[in-house]
Amino acid sequence: MNGTVVGNTLRTSWKQILYWGLGLGVLGLYIDFIAMSPDIISGYADLLKSMPPAMLQAFGASDIALLTTAEGWIVSVFVSEAAIFLSVFAVMAGLNITANDEQSGVMDVILSLPISRGAYLLERWIGFALIGLGIVLLCALITVGGLIGMNVDAPQDVILKSILNLYPATLLVMTVTGLLATSLRRRAVAIGAAAAFVVVSYIFNVIGAAASGAIADLMESVSYFSYIHGEAFVTGTYDPVDSVIILVAIVLGFAISLNMFVSRDIGV
Amino acid sequence: MASESVLEISGLSKTYGAGKMQTLALNRLDLSVHRGEIFGYLGPNGAGKTTTIRLLLDLIRPSSGSARIFGLDTRADSVEIHRRIGFLPGELSLWEGRTGDQIIHYVASVRGDTRGIAKQAGELAEQLDLDTSKRVRDLSSGNKRKLGLVIAMMHSPALLILDEPTGGLDPLVQQTFHEMMDDYRAKGRTVFLSSHVLSEVQAICDRVGILRDGELKAVESVEKITNVEFHWVDVTFRDTLPAGLQQQLESLPSITNISTNGARVRMRMAGDFDPLLRAISSGYVETLHVEEPSLEEIFLAFYSGDEETTI
Repeated sequence: MNGTVVGNTLRTSWKQILYWGLGLGVLGLYIDFIAMSPDIISGYADLLKSMPPAMLQAFGASDIALLTTAEGWIVSVFVSEAAIFLSVFAVMAGLNITANDEQSGVMDVILSLPISRGAYLLERWIGFALIGLGIVLLCALITVGGLIGMNVDAPQDVILKSILNLYPATLLVMTVTGLLATSLRRRAVAIGAAAAFVVVSYIFNVIGAAASGAIADLMESVSYFSYIHGEAFVTGTYDPVDSVIILVAIVLGFAISLNMFVSRDIGV
Repeated sequence: MASESVLEISGLSKTYGAGKMQTLALNRLDLSVHRGEIFGYLGPNGAGKTTTIRLLLDLIRPSSGSARIFGLDTRADSVEIHRRIGFLPGELSLWEGRTGDQIIHYVASVRGDTRGIAKQAGELAEQLDLDTSKRVRDLSSGNKRKLGLVIAMMHSPALLILDEPTGGLDPLVQQTFHEMMDDYRAKGRTVFLSSHVLSEVQAICDRVGILRDGELKAVESVEKITNVEFHWVDVTFRDTLPAGLQQQLESLPSITNISTNGARVRMRMAGDFDPLLRAISSGYVETLHVEEPSLEEIFLAFYSGDEETTI
C-alpha cells in the first residue's frame, strides 16, 4: 500500500468535491439568506406548529422554539436537508469503491497488478472518504462564509460544528453501500439495497422521533439520521457517544466488507 | 530450452454456482509450462481457458487443486507473482475517460517504477503504432487491445499471460506482435496465451494444450497438433464435371466427403495431391482452391482418431 490508488481516486473524482460542495454550499447560502429575515423564520415556525410531530421531524424541526432563532433555523433546516443530499453522494461513492470497476471489468486489470485486494479496498475507501470530507468542508465554508458576508447574527463555530457533524454519517452510508456492493456483487442490486437503507433509515427516524414507546425508540436508535444532531450543537446537548457509535459501525462495516472482498471470486 | 517450470498446475478444478445450477468449468487440470517457451492454450468457447487464466491470477478461487508460478502459490503469494507477470484480459476494459498515458502512468505507479516503465511503454507504443495521448473512449477496439498489450508488457515481465491477444488487431500489427513474442522467447521469458487463431499458434507457439469441456485433452508440440494432413479442395470446371469423375474420386482412398454443385466439386483430401490432379486432368479446370482445415476440424480430427485423418 503506497497511496497510489488513493491518489488516482482523487485525480479521477476530485471534481465531485466541486459539484457537491458548491451545490450544498449554494443551499447553505439560500438558508443563510432566509436567516437574515426573522419574520420569514417565525412565519415558517408558525406554519410548522400546526403540523403533526412526524411531519415536523420530516422537515428537520423537532423544536419549534429553536427554529425561531437564526442558528436554530440554519442547523435544523440545512443539516437535515444536507444529510439527505450527502446520503445520495455516499451511495454513489460506496458503489465507486469496487462495484463500478468490477461491473465494467476494469477490476481484472487492477487486481492483476501487485496490490492486494485488502490494500486496494482500503485505498479506494480512503480516497472517497477524502472526497466526502472535501465536500463537507467546502459546503461548511461556503455556508459559514455566507453568514459572515450577510452579517447574520448566529454563532459561526456552532454552525460549523453542526455541518462537520454530517461527515461521520456520510462515511457510514458510503461504507454500508460498499459492504452491500462487495456482498451482493451485482451493482444494480447493491444500488437498490443501499437506497432502501437510506430511505428506511429516514422513515425510522421520522416515525421514531414522533412516536413514543419501545418500538419507536428502537426504530430511532437504528436509524443513522438520528445520530446527526444539528440542533444539539445549538442547545449544547451534543453527546460524542453518538459519533463514536457511528465510527464503530463504520469500522465494523469496513471489516466485514474487507473480509467479503478478500475471500470471494471477482467478476463472477 | 531449459526445462525449469515457470507455471505448475496440479489438479485444478473450478465449479460455478451451487446445487442444480452447478457448472464444472475446469476439471482436475494438470499442466506445466517451462521457462522460455510460448505455450498456446487452445479450446473452443466455454472450454475453460479464461477460467484457468483467472484462477492463475487469483481473480477467482479454485474449488480444488492448486497452481504455482515461479514456485509461489497463486493464492498465498499473488502480490509477489503479479509483480513479475503481465496480463492481458480477453475482454479488456479500461477507464474510458482517461488517456493511454494516464493509464500507463497509473499502472506503472502501482508497480512502483514510474520512470523506467514509462520509457519502456513509450517504446512498445511506438512499435505497435499506438497514440497513447488519446482517451480510451476515442480508441478503436484494435487500439485498445494495443494499449492492453503495452500495459501487460511495459515492465518486461518474466511471464506474460495473454487471453486472446490479437483479437481486433490488423494483420500488420499481428505480425509485429509475433515478432515481439519471438523477441520475448529469445530473452528467455515465458508466454502463456489462449487463442482461437490457428495461424497465430503455428507462428509463435512452441507447445499447445487443447482444452475442451473443462478438461485438458492433449499437450503436444505445435508441429504435431497442426500437422493435420488433410485439406478441403474446391475444383471448378469450365463447363460441366467430366464424365465419371465422381466415381473416379470415390475410388481414391485419400478423397472423402465429396459434394458436387454444377461444374463444381468439393472434397476432403488427405495425403499427396498427385492422385487428385490425375483424376481431374480429364476436364478443363477453371479454378482450384485449397483450404487449410479450421481449428475446430483439427480438434475433431485430434480427438476422434479418425483413420481418414492423419495427424
